Order: sequence, then structure tokens, then C-alpha cells
Amino acid sequence: MLKKLIGSAALALVLAGSPAFAAELKVGSIVELSGPGAAAGVNFRDGVKMGFEEINATGGVFGSPVKISEYDSQTDPQVSRAMVQKAIDDGVHVIAGTVFSSSTVVNMLVARRAGIPQFTGSEAPSITGMGNPYIFRTAFGSQKGVPKMAKYMAEEMGVKKVAVVWANTEFGKGGYSAFKAEAANYGLEIVADIPTEQAQTDFSADVLRAKNSGADALFVYLTEEESARFLREAQKQSIGKPMIGETTLIGHKVIELAGEAAEGAMGHVGLTPDADIPAMKDMVERFKQRFNYTPDHNAIKGYTLAHIIKCVSEEVGSPDSAAIAEKMHGLTLTVEACPGVLMDVSWDETGEMSRESFFVEVKDGKQVVRAILPPN
Amino acid sequence: MTRKQILFVVLGIAALIAAPLGQGNYIIYTMTSWLLFSIAAMGLNLTLGYAGQISLAQAGFMGVGAYVTALMTLAGVPWILAALSSIGSAFVVGLLLGYPALRVQHHFLAFVTLAFNTLLFLVLRNEEEITGGSFGLMGMERPTVFGISTDGNLNFYYFALVCFLVAAGIMWWILRSPWGRAFKALRENPIRAESLGLKVRRQTLLAFAIGSAFAGLAGALQSPLVQFIEPSSFALNHSLKILLMVVVGGAGFFFGPMLGAAVVILLPEILRFTEGYYLIIYALLVIVLMVYSPNGLIGAGQKIWSKFKPKHEARRDLEKGFQL
Repeated sequence: MLKKLIGSAALALVLAGSPAFAAELKVGSIVELSGPGAAAGVNFRDGVKMGFEEINATGGVFGSPVKISEYDSQTDPQVSRAMVQKAIDDGVHVIAGTVFSSSTVVNMLVARRAGIPQFTGSEAPSITGMGNPYIFRTAFGSQKGVPKMAKYMAEEMGVKKVAVVWANTEFGKGGYSAFKAEAANYGLEIVADIPTEQAQTDFSADVLRAKNSGADALFVYLTEEESARFLREAQKQSIGKPMIGETTLIGHKVIELAGEAAEGAMGHVGLTPDADIPAMKDMVERFKQRFNYTPDHNAIKGYTLAHIIKCVSEEVGSPDSAAIAEKMHGLTLTVEACPGVLMDVSWDETGEMSRESFFVEVKDGKQVVRAILPPN
Repeated sequence: MTRKQILFVVLGIAALIAAPLGQGNYIIYTMTSWLLFSIAAMGLNLTLGYAGQISLAQAGFMGVGAYVTALMTLAGVPWILAALSSIGSAFVVGLLLGYPALRVQHHFLAFVTLAFNTLLFLVLRNEEEITGGSFGLMGMERPTVFGISTDGNLNFYYFALVCFLVAAGIMWWILRSPWGRAFKALRENPIRAESLGLKVRRQTLLAFAIGSAFAGLAGALQSPLVQFIEPSSFALNHSLKILLMVVVGGAGFFFGPMLGAAVVILLPEILRFTEGYYLIIYALLVIVLMVYSPNGLIGAGQKIWSKFKPKHEARRDLEKGFQL
């Protein structure tokens, strides 16, 4: 026993003395690979994977390749919690994921207790409002996107009256309440308030209500499949009003599903593969070659996340979870210093992030950037 | 119980006590999930396996239990009182639902309970002021028992194990009580049972409500285990999952639901090493099992055992409809 103890102590000393050997960075990627969140989760996972593959091809972090382990949360908070435990048992230094906020809020509790920084793809406002020092966003919360968009609607488009169509889920309610507050700020009058169900298929009554509401424009805050169905119905009833959304309404999946009906839909996106940024276009091309499909904003979140982890770990100098979390607060990563982040980005004390974003319109089945909105 | 059975049970409990020792948090947490779903599945086994009624609302009753416990513990009420209230409210909701619903039976009952589960999901989601809506409730404290905090995963496992053993003991007792025998009589031959003076409706209602109360206890454990609950954790697909546990393990066998819950919770975790394929392999295994043995794993075990066991040649001349 004593021999063993001395042996392990000696080994620990040797390891501590040779940072190149001891400093392997381990990342646990916990995402929705099955269940209702799989579409978003797979994009995110592939983004993370490609990011680290590229980093490892150019020498990794601390001179050794980063080790990523993947865990499937099944889009179930109970399973997700088990996966965080597993990742922590496996000794990861940093956690990537999850995308769905119901899993993220559970994972946060566990990761915080273990002192492991967690980089989430969730955009629900509540996540950074809980005073958890180990949570960091990879895309800013929806409470930040909606004000940018409401401002653009009121000031640039001259909208006065608006009909709001929203999904009655955690996602939808977050966006809806943020929009309601901003509408009051910018003097937009909400003339129709139309809640809809998750997995609703028939939107004819909702479209009709919006059409007859006398609104100048529609604010549509639904998840991808419902957005596509809504757009199709709106086209059928020739709604004749601009439809504006947040990220989902003009997402690639929606454009694919809604086809022609998506033409003219507008919206704000934090990250878009069609942004006029060479580094982003490059990344999208490489992604298409590697995985044979067009990445969405979740994939870009995942990709930038890999580079954020790399850059911040290198600034810290060792795979020290607590130090990485400490460093992240108030950090700004510029494209010059860390090219993989694609756009300049900074985090505040709560882990919330800010970055430039885009106002886009769908033209010929593609997102076309109408304006670049400054960070807030 | 025979001496052999007692030995078997004691060994089983010893194994459950020893199993988490030296394991990581992940394995302990997953085993705790198994204990909790075993309790819910045991309840459904009473309804389905013994009283013969298909219920698709077991997750809904878990939801009732989970929300009652969450709201009460968040308000500072000790867990034990909250859990008793959970069990009580699941029992009462079971009675209230069962009273009109049990006018119909079998797959019609399945539809009524399915509707109830969906309704409950909508209520949990829309009554935002009480239930937190789709944001859910979080931060439920794990209970302290006799001054020992169950905040650690190992302590909480033993805490859940005690609850599980108590629940299993009660179930054992129910099945051997006049009630349990009445439930079985109803399943085997309702007309004969009624002719012997059993009130069919009252007995099925009782089985249904007791089954729901077990789900209430499972819910009361889930709140502090996950420390986050949201309506979709109690949606219809989870009811189907619990039904699968009962059917895979073997409906109508005492140990069926525990075995079934082990398969449904632990098998996908064990298969995770196959990465992208794990859920596919899991689904295939379940299909193969159900085709080979509709009585579930215990049924399959009995089938295999009876092949090897030397048996008496039955007197064929005593069979019904025997002709020389």
C-alpha cells in the first residue's frame, strides 16, 4: 500500500513537472442526438466536432490533441442530468451543450457544483439570470435579439401596428414577452395577439385573424416546422403583409420546408451561414464538404464554441476549469486574436454574450442580409 | 414465502445495497432513476398486470406527485409530508379519473387515460402562476433524514432504495390481501368474480387508484432527484415508456416491472458504447423480445426454464374434450 502511495505521488510529481504531457484538454459534448431536439442537436454536435478536428489538425491545445467525448441527452432533462454526471465522472474540463434550455438549466446545477464551465447553445433569457458563474452562451439570449429587431421594425421599416403570432412553449413565451416589452418601448401597437400550439398543423384561423387585424406587419415567433406551416398558409391566403421573425422564421429548415412560401419573410439572426463574412462562408463550405448538408446557426455556434474553448484555455495556460470560467467573465475575443470565432465577441459577468447580428430577408430560397445590427 | 424465496430476496437487497459502492455519480444517478421508475411501473403493474386495465396516464400521475412535492418543498414543507401529500393527491386524482373512466374497459380505457394525460400536460403548462408553465420548477432541495443530508448522489440512492423497498413491501402485502386476490379474480374471469359477490367496478377503481398512488410516490422522488421538473417530463411518451417497462418485464409478475424498468432505463445506457446506433439496437432487442415472448422477460425466462426442467407427463385423458 505504502509503495503504491509513494508510486502514485511520484507519478503525480512527474506529471505536474511536464505540462506538455499532463495538459490534455478534455471536452464533454452533451447534446440532443435523439428525441425532439435532434435536428438542432446534431447540427451543434457536428459544429463542435469539426471545430475540434481542425484545432487538432493544427496541433491541438497545449501541444496535444483535445479529447472530445459525446453524450446523447435524448432531449430529456432527466437523462441529460445523468450525462453531465457521466461527463464529470469521466474527468472533462469543459462541457459543450446542450441546445434545449430545459436540459441546460438542469445541467447547470450539476456543472456548477463540480466547478466545470459549461458553454450552452440555449437562447432562453433565464439561463444567464440565475447568477451561475459557470454558464456561458455561444449565442446571445433571445432577450437581446428581440430588442434589436423591434428597433429595426419601428425605426427602419416604419411599422406602427403589429400582429403577434407565437408558440405557447417556453421558447415562444420568452420571445413573446420580450417583444411585448420592446413594442411598448418603440411605440408599436399590438393589434392581434395569437398564441399557437406546439406541433399545430392547421394555421388557417390564425392567418385569417392576423390578416384581418389591420396590422402593418406580423411578428412570427414559432419553432421551425410550425413556421413553415404558417408561411404556407399565409401564402395560400395571400396575406400581403411583411412577416418578421427571430432566427427560426428564416432558418434553413424553414426555407426548405416552406419552399416558395418563405419568399419575402424577414427576420433577425444572430448567426447565419449566408452572412457576408469570408471566414463564415469558408467555414460553411468546409462544413458542407465534411457532413454533406448546409449548417444552420446551431452548427456555427458549435464551431465557434470549439475555438472559444481553445483560445480561452490557451490564455489561461492550463486545463484548469475554475480558471477558464474566471477568465471568461468580461472576456472579448477578436477575430485577429482568435480567427475561429468568426466575429468579434464578448461576454459579461453573467455569461451573457454580445456580438453583431444580421437582419435578413429570404430571396430565391436564400437568406439575403439587409442590414448588420450593432451589438447591444 | 419459502425459505428459498426469503434467501433470494435477502440476497437481492444486499446486492442493491452493495451495487453503488465505488461507482461514479453517473451510475449511481442512473440506478436511482431505475428505482424510481420501478416504483411507478409497480403501480401500473397492479392496474395492468393484476386488474387487467390498460392505463396510459401513469406519467401523468407521476406528474401530479412531482408537482405537489416540488411546490410543497419549495415552500419549505419537509419532504416526508410533501411525499405523503403527493401519494394522497395521486390517489384522489386516480379515484376521480377512474370513477367515470372505468365505465369503459381495456383499450377504451386506454384512450380515456391518454386524453387525461394530455389534459394534465396542458394544465401543467398553462397554469403558469402555480406550475411555472413550460419554464418548469427548479431548485428543489433534497431531503434531510435524521440529520443526514441526501444531497450527495450516494445518500440519495439509499434514500430512494428505502422508499423502493417500502413500496415493494406494501405491494407484496396488497397482492396477498383479499384485495389483491380480488384483483386477480377480476382479471381471470370478471363474470365469475361478480357472481361470487365482488363489486367489479369498485375493485378496478381501487386497483387503479392504488396504482396511481405508487406513481405519486415515484413523482415525489423525481422532484428532488432531477431538481427540475417541466410538463414535458410527464407527457404521453413517458406513460408509454412506463407501459413498456411493465410489458417488457412481464405484466402480472411481481418482479416484472423492476426487471422491465432495468431494461428500459439501463439497457440504452449500457448500449451507449455503440454511439449512434444505441437506440436502434435497443428498439430491435425489445421487438425481438416481444415477438418471442409476449409475457416479457419473466415469461421468456419461464419458457426457457420449462424446456430444461424435467416434468410430469400430464394425464391427457383428463384434458378437456379428450376422446379415446
